Amino acid sequence: MSATSTLEKAQLSPADLKQMLDRGESFTLLDVRNEEEFRRWQVEGRHSVTVLNIPYYQFLEAPEEAVARVPRDWPVVAICAKGGSSAWVVQEILRPRGYQAVNLEGGMEAWGKFYQPRVLPEALPAFRIWQLERPARGCLHYVVAYGPQYRRAIVIDPPRHLDAVLQLAQEHSLSITHIFDTHAHADHISGGVALAKLTGAPYYLHPYDAIHPLDVLPATIPYEMTKDGQVFTLDQDRLHVIHIPGHTLGNTALYLEGNGKRFLFSGDSIFLYSIARPDLGGRGETWAPLHYRSLFHRLLVLPDDTLVLPGHFSQPKEARSDGLYAEVLAELKRRNPDLKQRSEAEFVQYMLSSLPEFPKQYIEIKRINIGLVQPSQEYADELEFGKNVCALADAYRK
Amino acid sequence: MSGEQKQVNRELDVRGAKCPMPIVRARQEVQRMAVGEVLRVVATDPGSVNDFKGWVQTAKNVELVKQEETIDANGQRLYIHYLRRIA
Repeated sequence: MSATSTLEKAQLSPADLKQMLDRGESFTLLDVRNEEEFRRWQVEGRHSVTVLNIPYYQFLEAPEEAVARVPRDWPVVAICAKGGSSAWVVQEILRPRGYQAVNLEGGMEAWGKFYQPRVLPEALPAFRIWQLERPARGCLHYVVAYGPQYRRAIVIDPPRHLDAVLQLAQEHSLSITHIFDTHAHADHISGGVALAKLTGAPYYLHPYDAIHPLDVLPATIPYEMTKDGQVFTLDQDRLHVIHIPGHTLGNTALYLEGNGKRFLFSGDSIFLYSIARPDLGGRGETWAPLHYRSLFHRLLVLPDDTLVLPGHFSQPKEARSDGLYAEVLAELKRRNPDLKQRSEAEFVQYMLSSLPEFPKQYIEIKRINIGLVQPSQEYADELEFGKNVCALADAYRK
Repeated sequence: MSGEQKQVNRELDVRGAKCPMPIVRARQEVQRMAVGEVLRVVATDPGSVNDFKGWVQTAKNVELVKQEETIDANGQRLYIHYLRRIA
């Protein structure tokens, strides 16, 4: 058997890895990137996983010492930045020494572009809602199919990698009728404008988010304006726009009602165990009070049985047992520490003392999302390195 | 030409090569060099910056003199690593 075909058999796809992580299978995740890159961004699972960082050059310089650190009790999944070094460690070091080892094909680069769609069971039969999880970055995107046979669909917060959306659309013969960004994102590059161009569907954004908050420059992208109270009719059902300034000035949530069921696409406002931060526009102190009023006076007053579908998660263990990130408002009021009843002044003080670091690339990502900068694919990948930090700091504590 | 460039004894072009090849080939070159000689490695992989830093801490016979970033005539970003054999 040639080396190449053995290596091919040794490859694991990101979907395979996601399944192993979700099932809580026993394996060692051997990350062979340098310590700096490992520190900045790692694969995380819902259940506890043994993660080991031994840079590949340690296998090169002192193979026996490095190998001695890798447990023999479980299979090994090796991962690196692009899949080359981990393939080498699997092929040249681990397998010849009797390890059951597999390589993650494409490495962190492929993991970063992997999306897992899941149907939300409680939306049926009113809607067929898919939540698209981007596990590497903690982003959640939505496709909501409606109408007879669920043939029409809206897309909420589409990702840059449109294949994830287009594949669903093709498999289920969806015709995309509306595209929404709940806000101009800072942590990831939107696919909204590109998807609109491709499908002919209008792309909606709140106009306050069409001005870069730091550059104070207007968007150059084509978009339709959303406004507070606007209602979109989706066949028999209605989608309401709620303007909730705070995380951004043009931040919105989308509230969907149909067949007696209620869903809130909360974007970056309420997360399952946290809330969005108010400072990514550089005006945290000014925006925090707005954020308070939006959260407490606009969103928490919605019916208690409204199912909240957030734009992010901070840790994979926030998922339900079926893998979806969703919870009813009543339960969130009870368990989400950031939604605890506080006065406005207490809330503002609490938020401003709980801010994580401000990733400087977020300023640039926002420029891209309103058309002020056109990135190469390589540059876009570089900007999207690592997990989102859109929530308050507590969300990232393990 | 600067003094530093004059001190380069060997060149290694690993443009387009992905991990682990830049380190594998640099390691082979260093083994062929005399102690005190300097190798200039030209790479295109941005990951090479931290990889070379990490590798020299693991390898006992080489030190990283410096690292540079430039853009070539085609707009390609280059990561240049200067390595000295020390044992």
